[in-house]
Amino acid sequence: MSRMMQLTVLILITGLLGACAPIQPEREVGARDDLRVDPDVQGFITVTELLEQRADMPGGGDLLKIQFAVQAYQDTLMEWAVTWFDAQGMVVPGVGEGYRPARLLPNQTRFFTATAPHQKVVSYQLHLREDREP
Amino acid sequence: MNKWVPVVLCTTLLAACAAPTRYIDPAADDGAVAMTMDYRDFERAADAALQDMLASGAVDNPSGDRYVMAVSRIVNDTMQRIDTDQLVKKIRVGLLRSGKVITTTAVGVDGAEDAMNEKARELRNSDEFDQSGVQKKGTLKAPDLSLSGKIIQRNHKVEDEQQVEYYFQLSLTDLQNGLAIWENETPIIKRGSDKGVAW
Repeated sequence: MSRMMQLTVLILITGLLGACAPIQPEREVGARDDLRVDPDVQGFITVTELLEQRADMPGGGDLLKIQFAVQAYQDTLMEWAVTWFDAQGMVVPGVGEGYRPARLLPNQTRFFTATAPHQKVVSYQLHLREDREP
Repeated sequence: MNKWVPVVLCTTLLAACAAPTRYIDPAADDGAVAMTMDYRDFERAADAALQDMLASGAVDNPSGDRYVMAVSRIVNDTMQRIDTDQLVKKIRVGLLRSGKVITTTAVGVDGAEDAMNEKARELRNSDEFDQSGVQKKGTLKAPDLSLSGKIIQRNHKVEDEQQVEYYFQLSLTDLQNGLAIWENETPIIKRGSDKGVAW
């Protein structure tokens, strides 16, 4: 009986200590898409390929490079930008944050490339949107 | 006294019509394009040059160390008064962040970029300074690479429009042998109203 009491007290203490422990906020970080195409241009273009490669460097490291192809169904002015992330999902800054404009003629397929600004980059997000310049 | 009332009213009305001053977020700037070079042009040219430089492997030292780069002359051959540092600084920052290149401010075409490199060494043998903190001889790093370039502008009249072409040309020279180990040209072409001026 005393053993049962001891066990009960132990469970109660453990429960109390557990209640006092700081609550860790649960992070719900969804997996990032490599590619995001805004609905404004989705009807006019198709990303026909999106390739990535780690290119070896003479110093022993490697850099992430991507190549993507866009096919247009009509004359389209679009802009694109790549955001780079390290292994922890943090943004690795490049030069500037601006979008690059590109024009695609009907039935034209254009190939674009981008290179990561640092070898710690492991993932990216490519964003295609309509040309916003007036 | 009453004659000032219309003046004040007109001034107030005009002020109300003026576009309000506001901050621009470079990541979401949908403002009109100017015929002159603006910050977006420098950003695009620097980004294109840096990505090409990194991808080429030219700035990757086989020994694993960082290269030391000196900035040589960047010629402004445009009709605009621009500071070429708007381009060079972005490339320097990108190279430093990449971990592959560090820029020396002790060597430059017209003398050291930071004169303090020399000034700090003039403190040698001065009784006023604790000599343990004074820079020793032979501590400055000589550059391995040199960045030089030119920004060119060409204007054309195309029917009732004008076309302005900017060329950002850059070379990276290996100072050991004088060979250009990387070269790049980024053209930025603008076409717009003939009434606009590009200088």
